[in-house]
Amino acid sequence: MKVIDFYKRRYIYFAISICIILAGVICAFTEGIKLDINFQGGAVLKYTFVGTIDTDDAANIVEETIGRTTTCQEQTTMNKDEKMLVVNLANKESLTSQQQEAVTDALAKAYPEAKIEFATSLSVQPFTGARFFRNGIIAILLSFALILVYVGFRFKNIGGFSAATMAIVALFHDAFVVTATFIIFRIPLNDSFIAAILTIIGFSINDTIVIYDRIRENKLLLGKKTPTEDLVNLSITQSMTRSINTNIAVFMSITIVFIFAQIYNIETIKDFALPMMFGTISGCYSTICIAGPLWTMWKNHQAKAKLKKAQG
Amino acid sequence: MKSKSKSTFFIVALITAALLYVALFGLHIGGLNIKGANEMRFGIDIRGGVEATYTPKDLDRAPTEDELASARTIIETRMDAKRITDREITTDKTDGSIIVRFPWKSDEADFDAQKAISELGETALLTFRDPDGNVVLEGTDVKKSYASLDEQGVTYNVILELTDTGKQKFADATGRLIGKNISIYMDENEIESATVQDQITGGIARITNQKDVATAKALADKINSGSLPFSMIANDANIISADLGTGALAVMVRAGELAFILVCLFMLLYYRLPGFVACIALVLQVVGQLLALSVPQFTLTLPGIAGVILSIGMGVDANVIVSERIKEELNSGKTLRSSITAGFHRAFSSVFDGNITVMIVSIVLIIFGSGSMLSFGYTLLCGVLMNFVAGVTASRLMISSLSEYKGLQKPWLFGARRLA
Repeated sequence: MKVIDFYKRRYIYFAISICIILAGVICAFTEGIKLDINFQGGAVLKYTFVGTIDTDDAANIVEETIGRTTTCQEQTTMNKDEKMLVVNLANKESLTSQQQEAVTDALAKAYPEAKIEFATSLSVQPFTGARFFRNGIIAILLSFALILVYVGFRFKNIGGFSAATMAIVALFHDAFVVTATFIIFRIPLNDSFIAAILTIIGFSINDTIVIYDRIRENKLLLGKKTPTEDLVNLSITQSMTRSINTNIAVFMSITIVFIFAQIYNIETIKDFALPMMFGTISGCYSTICIAGPLWTMWKNHQAKAKLKKAQG
Repeated sequence: MKSKSKSTFFIVALITAALLYVALFGLHIGGLNIKGANEMRFGIDIRGGVEATYTPKDLDRAPTEDELASARTIIETRMDAKRITDREITTDKTDGSIIVRFPWKSDEADFDAQKAISELGETALLTFRDPDGNVVLEGTDVKKSYASLDEQGVTYNVILELTDTGKQKFADATGRLIGKNISIYMDENEIESATVQDQITGGIARITNQKDVATAKALADKINSGSLPFSMIANDANIISADLGTGALAVMVRAGELAFILVCLFMLLYYRLPGFVACIALVLQVVGQLLALSVPQFTLTLPGIAGVILSIGMGVDANVIVSERIKEELNSGKTLRSSITAGFHRAFSSVFDGNITVMIVSIVLIIFGSGSMLSFGYTLLCGVLMNFVAGVTASRLMISSLSEYKGLQKPWLFGARRLA
């Protein structure tokens, strides 16, 4: 088997990753990060209707009813004969069920022919949203800390802490890529964002551990004198078929889910599956091209420092 | 010994098939009642429904524990009246809120969820009425109500302490109604009826002979709700219509089936015999997850499905790692049997560490996450545990067993490049 030299081309990989993350950051600044009302508070109401409704007109009716700035949009639904009227309330305040009833009544009265039917509503107070977001972030960071401890302990023979740190770097990388996908595709950050990040973290850490396991095993087989880059290159090459096959299976499954969601126009699933597709690729890539080479650099740096010290 | 090992594959496959049947259709024999996939509890994001968080309206302090209990009682009584029995109500004492979740009522085509949410939180109108329906006392006339044991310490009573105006009204009413009934209504629902024994002038009323302390407490809470100084309002609410939810579920189930079939085909074509075993192991894993959800009736939400996807991915990975390792060992010139043993042995440490790490994440989510994260954590934890059962143990039993058959001992069946 020909050993592929991943370490040699490490700066190309780093550059690719930095470009993707930068693209996300630039988009975040130019377009802004869209937080869904789950996180920042606010209210949205959705109605199904038939025929046509002028969205500006509908927005005016809602504004008159409850005295809050409103925008309305039209959406297609799974059912071809029906359309969806989306009522977005500006400013991040919630809307009580009493106010919602008033909106429903006013719209039904204004458009008697449209068979307006209430479908969905979401109303969140800003502080509830903030708490939900904070809890999600805390859970993610705490998971990172525990992963650091566990991987550090289990991979002691390949310098536990350094390996664990690089695994976490790879996780941050993937979390950034998933977030960038949300930002670039203008998907608002909501609870499917948290679920997508967590799923990708799960896949990614598993990927990294499989490679580390191979490094750990090869180190025992080949002895301590083998240079780190050879060890890493060999281990990644040996696990290559596995990395590709597993990720093909996962990527294929997520893609099918995405295609179905696209065909049947299921917004929530689409918003979850698309970032997952990018995250899966990122998870595999970050292990091979980021965690492995970075860890090698760290180890080489350590070895050099030790040598210098020994030389006096 | 050999023949026993030979049959292991069929035993595992049979168990998988049996469990698959139970997971899909449930099992109802005598006292044993296992619910199948068709009776699975879905979250409101899937089957449609209502989730509302009620907080006191116009109250400048946090509600007391008793007030919160009364408010909860109001909501529960009203849900009973609306025949919403499949519901989940949780009280959060720290911020004084009540969270109500219930699925869309499928038997009522024009169920008005917005109105239902508003009505559940309104101030309860508590009245005491004589047999002719005349109001003799109102909720605000009751200072407080509580459960207590009678003097003999045998039965439970509900004590009502009345206000001064209440005392007068009640004395008049009981004087007039000796031997007749006084009924207590919340809104228009009768919650209790008792016969007047004597005229009560002391401002303390007793409703005797309650079944147990819980019944007495519940009635006291209901009576207290009549003097609750605030109504509840739902600022945080999520309503999802049933059409939207179930439509999405049907599509996702179809997508999941197609994805599963394609993954199995891929495994079968690429890894041959170990791939075939992997397919059975994956079925076992999915079955285990379905049972872990349907047996304790754990609510499955969309993030929960993400957890299932992740753990199936991990399951595929475990099988891929093992199959690759067996192939490597065969290619290095080992015999089939020692390749299988070495393959599983070598693969184990990476499958173990990968799964334990993901398990740590899932436990963090179960402990610290709420709502959607909890559901994700639960399905993930079950999936990872099933991975050890299916992807590691069951796969090894099946491959070792099949490799006992002469006809199956061909290295190409294991994907080896050359004959060993």
